[in-house]
Amino acid sequence: MRNLLRVIIIAAAATVFAGSLIHVTMAQKSRDRFSHNTAAHKKKNCNSCHTNPTSNWVTARGFPDVADFPQHVACFACHTKDIYSGNQPAFCGSCHTVVGPRGKARFPFPVRTRTTEFSTIYPHNVHQDIIAAVDKRRQISVAHFVFASFVPADDKPTFNNCAICHSTRKDLPKFASRALDPKLRPLADAAPETFAPKADYFKDSPSGHDSCFNCHFQGLQPSGIECAKCHKLEPPSNPSATVNRYSLKFSHEDLNDRGETVHNRDCMTCHVRISQNADLKTMKDADVPFMACASCHADNFTKENNSRAESIAKKQPAFQCTYCHTTAIGRFPMPPSHKTQ
Amino acid sequence: MFRPRWQFFFVLVSLIAISSALAQDAPTGSLEVTGRIKIGKDTEKVTRKRFYLFRGGLAENKPLVDRLKSAKIVSRDCFYCNIKASREYIEWLKGGNCESPFCRSITAADIAKVPEFQAAYQKGVKQFKNKTDVATNWVTTNLSPELRDGFYKDRKAIVNGFLGDIKPVQSSMTDSVTVKAIFIDIAVNPKPGKSTETFLVSNLLPIEIGTKSYVWACEVEIGTNKIAKLTPAEAPETSKLVKKCEVIVRDLPVCDAGTCGPK
Repeated sequence: MRNLLRVIIIAAAATVFAGSLIHVTMAQKSRDRFSHNTAAHKKKNCNSCHTNPTSNWVTARGFPDVADFPQHVACFACHTKDIYSGNQPAFCGSCHTVVGPRGKARFPFPVRTRTTEFSTIYPHNVHQDIIAAVDKRRQISVAHFVFASFVPADDKPTFNNCAICHSTRKDLPKFASRALDPKLRPLADAAPETFAPKADYFKDSPSGHDSCFNCHFQGLQPSGIECAKCHKLEPPSNPSATVNRYSLKFSHEDLNDRGETVHNRDCMTCHVRISQNADLKTMKDADVPFMACASCHADNFTKENNSRAESIAKKQPAFQCTYCHTTAIGRFPMPPSHKTQ
Repeated sequence: MFRPRWQFFFVLVSLIAISSALAQDAPTGSLEVTGRIKIGKDTEKVTRKRFYLFRGGLAENKPLVDRLKSAKIVSRDCFYCNIKASREYIEWLKGGNCESPFCRSITAADIAKVPEFQAAYQKGVKQFKNKTDVATNWVTTNLSPELRDGFYKDRKAIVNGFLGDIKPVQSSMTDSVTVKAIFIDIAVNPKPGKSTETFLVSNLLPIEIGTKSYVWACEVEIGTNKIAKLTPAEAPETSKLVKKCEVIVRDLPVCDAGTCGPK
C-alpha cells in the first residue's frame, strides 16, 4: 500500500514536471482576451490588423465602419503556433464564439462587455470653431415681433454641433448624486426623497463611429485610418456608466407652463467652457457654473437661500435646498460658488 | 548628525505644500462679454464667435494690437473666390453665415444646387455602394481639401501668427441665445492699492458684418467681488480707439467673376 502511494505521488510529480515543460504562449494563456498592450502589438500600426471599412459594413452598420474583427491574415503571420495548438485552441476564443475548424461565428464587434484599452481623444474647442450652429429663431408675435429665448416644444432647435454627438436619451442610465468633498458635513439628515429622473433628463455620448466618420472617414484629419489619433492606448479599464450629477432634477427637455422648452438652448449657454476644452480627460463633470443657472433661476435660489437662513436663525433643522437638488446634495452647506453670485 | 538629504527633502516638501496652498487660495474672477454690438443704427448679434482674454491692457499688449492693425487678412468670400469655389457654394456659405461646409446639414436640395456638393455626392454614391443616404450625409468626405477645411486652416495660421509666444489666459465663444461669451475662474492679481486687474479681450479674427469686418481689442477690469461685464465698443466707420477699445474696421472686398477686389 505504501509502495502504491509512493508510485502515485511520483507519477503525479512527474506529470506536473512534464507539463511545465510544454511551452504555453501568452496568447494561449489569454483564452478569450486580446490585448493591444503587449510589447509586440504596441509596435504595430493599427492598419496592419484593422481595415476600414470592413467588408460587412453594409449589413452590420449601414455606413462604412470598422464593423468586424481583423481577418485571419492579421494573426496568422505571428501566431501560427497558437492557432494550430490543440483541438480547440484557446487563442481563437478572442474573436470566435465557437472554437473549431468550422466555427465561423464571431462575437459582435466591438465586444462591449470586455475591458476597454483605449481612451478617446476629442478636442471640443476645435470642433466648436469649425461647426457653427445656425440659429434661426422663430419670431413669436406678441403685439410686435419679439425674439424669444424659449421655443415651443414642437419646434425644438437642434444645435448642429453638439446634437451631432449628444442626443436626448431614450433609456434611463444608471445615475447618482455627485460625491461631495468628504470633509463636508451635512446640515441635517436627508429628508425622504421621492424624486427620480427620467431618461430624457440626460444626454448620451457617442459609442461608435457614426457621428465621427460623416466628417472624418477620409481626407479630414484625423481620418478613419488614423486610429491612434483618436484612440489612445491605456491600461485596461472598465469605465463606469453611471452618470453623476450635482442636480439630478435638471432636465434638458423641461417645459414651462406654456409648454415651451426652456433648457434646450444653445448648449454653450450653460456649458460655458466647452469651447475651451481640448482634452476629454480634463472634463470631470458637466462643468456648468452656478452663474449659468442663476441667470434664470436667481429668484428660486434667493427663496431657498432665505429659507435656509431662516431655519438656521430659528435653530430649526436646516432647510434642504431641493428646487435644484435632491436631498443627497441639498442638505449640505452652500458652496462658495453660490455665495459670490 | 548633519543629514543634508533629509533637510533638502523637508524644504522641498514644505515648498510644494506652500505653493499648493497658495494656488488653492488664488482669487478668481468672472467675465461676461456680450456679443450684442452697436454698428450704425443696428445692434448686431455676434454669435458663435471666439473671444480671447489676455493679461494686461492695451499698453502691455501693444505688440499684439499692432499686429492686429497691420494684418492683411483675406475675407471669407475672397478665400473661397480665390480657390475658385462656385458662386452657388459661396452663396450657400453666406446663407447660413457659415465659414465651412461643416456649419450646417447639407440637404438634397443643397446638393442639387451647388456644383461642388453634386460632384462630391456622385463620388460618394460610387464609393459607398449606391447608398444614397450615406453619400448625402457624408458629402464633405468627398470635397476637396481647400473647400473642406482650407478656411479653418487659414484662420488657425492667422491666429497663431497674431499670438506668437503669447498665451491667452482663456478663450470663449459667444452662444447663440444669450449672445455672451463667459469666462470663469480667471486668476486675478490686482496691483497694490487696486481691487481689479486689467485684461484685454479681443476676437483677433475679423468678424464680418455687412460690408465691413471688425476686430475689437478692449480693456476690461476684472475683480473678485462681482462678474465683470464688457460690451465691445460701438463700431465706428473707420478704425479708431473708442473708450479703451481699439476697433479695427476694414471694408470687405467683393468676389466678382472669380476675382476679389474692393467694392
